[in-house]
Amino acid sequence: MTLIFSFAQAAFIVLLAPGMVGFVRTLKARFQNRRGAPILLPYWSLLSLFRKEMTITRNSSWIFHAVPFVVFASALTLAFLIPTLGYSGGHLGDIFLVGAIMALGSVFLVFGGMDTASAFGNMGSSREMTLSALVEPALYVSLGTLAIIAGAPNLESILERFSSASALDILPIAALSLFALFLVFLSENARYPVDNPATHLELTMVHEAMVLEYSGAYLALLEYASAIKLTVLFAFLMDLVVPFGIVHLPFTPLTLLVACVALLGKLVLAALLVAFVESTIVKMRFYRMQEFMSLGFIVAFAGLLLALIFGRPL
Amino acid sequence: MPTHSFPINTVSRESLRSAVEGVLAHGGALALMYATDEGGQGYAVNAVCSLPGESGFTTFRAEIPKSDPRYPSLTVNIMAAHWYERQIRDQFGIVPEGHPDLRRLMHHENIPEGTHPLRKEFAWNTKLAQGHVPYPMHAVEGKGVFEIPVGPIHAGIIEPGHFRFNVRGERILALEGKLFFKHKGVEKLVEGKTPEEALPFVERVSGDMVVGHTLAYVQALERARGTTVSKRTEHLRCLYNELERITMHLFDIGNMGGMGTGFTFMAAQGFRMVEMMRRLNETLVGHRFLRGAIMLGGAHDLDQDARAKIRETINRIEKDIKKVLDIAFATDGLLERFETTGVLSKEAARAYGAQGVPARASGVAIDARHDRPYAAYETLNVAVVTEKSGDVAARFRVRVRELAESFRLVREIIADLPHAETATTFSRGSGEALGWAESWRGEVVDFVRLTKEGRIERLVIRDPSFCNWALFGELAPGNIIPDFPLCNKSLNLSYSGNDL
Repeated sequence: MTLIFSFAQAAFIVLLAPGMVGFVRTLKARFQNRRGAPILLPYWSLLSLFRKEMTITRNSSWIFHAVPFVVFASALTLAFLIPTLGYSGGHLGDIFLVGAIMALGSVFLVFGGMDTASAFGNMGSSREMTLSALVEPALYVSLGTLAIIAGAPNLESILERFSSASALDILPIAALSLFALFLVFLSENARYPVDNPATHLELTMVHEAMVLEYSGAYLALLEYASAIKLTVLFAFLMDLVVPFGIVHLPFTPLTLLVACVALLGKLVLAALLVAFVESTIVKMRFYRMQEFMSLGFIVAFAGLLLALIFGRPL
Repeated sequence: MPTHSFPINTVSRESLRSAVEGVLAHGGALALMYATDEGGQGYAVNAVCSLPGESGFTTFRAEIPKSDPRYPSLTVNIMAAHWYERQIRDQFGIVPEGHPDLRRLMHHENIPEGTHPLRKEFAWNTKLAQGHVPYPMHAVEGKGVFEIPVGPIHAGIIEPGHFRFNVRGERILALEGKLFFKHKGVEKLVEGKTPEEALPFVERVSGDMVVGHTLAYVQALERARGTTVSKRTEHLRCLYNELERITMHLFDIGNMGGMGTGFTFMAAQGFRMVEMMRRLNETLVGHRFLRGAIMLGGAHDLDQDARAKIRETINRIEKDIKKVLDIAFATDGLLERFETTGVLSKEAARAYGAQGVPARASGVAIDARHDRPYAAYETLNVAVVTEKSGDVAARFRVRVRELAESFRLVREIIADLPHAETATTFSRGSGEALGWAESWRGEVVDFVRLTKEGRIERLVIRDPSFCNWALFGELAPGNIIPDFPLCNKSLNLSYSGNDL
């Protein structure tokens, strides 16, 4: 049962992911008074990329070919491990495992950027490593805080705790950690104010610079992977903020349907949030990233103190 | 019509440098350097200088014998001459002796040695052999120093330019550009053409500054032939010049704020207003980029209706851009990106002979509309806008304030347009003269010489971008790579105008 549930959950996220990206883009366009591209465009882009021929430089090794698969696999694993529709009682998603799988994807992306020895790829890779090192403390401190609140170091238990307690009990304690997690997820997904997913300026890119040499199916895999990562991380975060409609075993088709609809609603909310942030703030100067990341860490740390003082399991 | 004076002083090639130095010592500036092929006897190298308080140009002309095409370089003491002298060497093979950096400028690797296309004996349609001449670029060596080549093909839809960054980490140590990838050879192509035939070439020198280039060109020709145009024509020409300035300053404001920093709302709004201006241009003259607005001896006439349309569009844009700018100036993140980025010092701006917005943003008060008023500008009293800090923020503010000034000028012109014919006959015959116009990008300076039959013998076009491209080597080092696109947008130089 747990397995079936995990599959259903992962399938839901994987199917929805390109739509989520498209929806954020459309919302951003609307914030700028533009009509924007259709929400479903990313699906068509992925399909056409899968059909396209790949141009691969001769100066690349097997790493270049392995990267899209590793990165996509890490995103898929995240979709399996991170509870979004609900929890199955399998206590999946150890926080350190999830962190490590995210890091695995990032590291291979960095390898992919460096493998062709192109100037832009190396530039993106160097920036990505700097950012990863800066963002990791905030990630683990905030996830750890949630684990303390839940009393167990895995995401399923955290979700279980959040969905079973009343919001008034838990949100004041967890608010800071959730905010820190939001900052971390913005950075992890190469969004503002850290990176600009829509830029064409090679010199300012981070994530886009690393995938610059990829084309065709490989590029589709990489883009799909980043869409899945975006969707699953923000789905989990919104689950904690609005723990409504979360299913648990044993589930009926009706509760599962409610969970799906509720998750859709939460993703809409997340997309609104991301689009709002990206439309109202300016991308930060690269040399001020550490300030943004320090903010994330300080908020996460304050959240940890809050949880240690007030967050004894009820 | 203000009275301009254009003394031409013939000097020996040895004393050319000291002559220009004398002008600079009196607060003048080197405005243009060009060479001409004088037929049998030799070449002439000309240094055109502006003096403060004088509303014309002083030219120093040095004859150079063809048997010995050399002269002592000006660049030794006059930085602003550096690209002109390299260009003249490529065009004519005249060697400025002692030039500290005598690499080729316009000619890339594929141009064989000894190719000097502006010599009289060089036919414009010569098929060149494939050359393999090295084109070395600046390089920094040391531990942890990397070289990042960017371009000539870019991700955006822009023209080709190659930039070589030497960086340590993200910090730029040195930056050099390689341009002239799509050199069109306009100066050679128009030789032997009538002024009317050459006009479309001039209009297309740079797509976004049609009025700037045509205005400088027609004024040079009219001065060479002694043609006077009517007051109405003069006012209309200024009107088109200001409409072009409004269009492009709106573009730059949106582009710097929106695309440069990722504050997308400004791009969406700025480009919407640019489109409004382009549509207005189309209803006025039938071309979105104002081609055909300015003619030899005349300008496209506008009736009462057209002027009402201008007023209406300007009013709407002024209201809209004010709202956008209020938001922009209230956004700390945006100002934080702008301030202290890409600082160009006043000394450097002067030394390099910077033109237009970058010069004024660094505190150099130059504006041909004020210093050498042409057409109707003398009666319009243009206020020169300057800022002190010389950073991206300063260039942004200069554009914002110039926009307000342009709105005022446009309103003033359409409120009180003199009644007269807008077409004058342009007579055929010989002559030579300088013409200039302050385009939105900076001052365009043209030199034209006509043959007895009234055909063009030599046309020199100086786009302000030619003076400003080298500024990158000065303002980029010390900045970080991700800020370079913002610096680039804050200058907004023309590739096409440079690669003419």
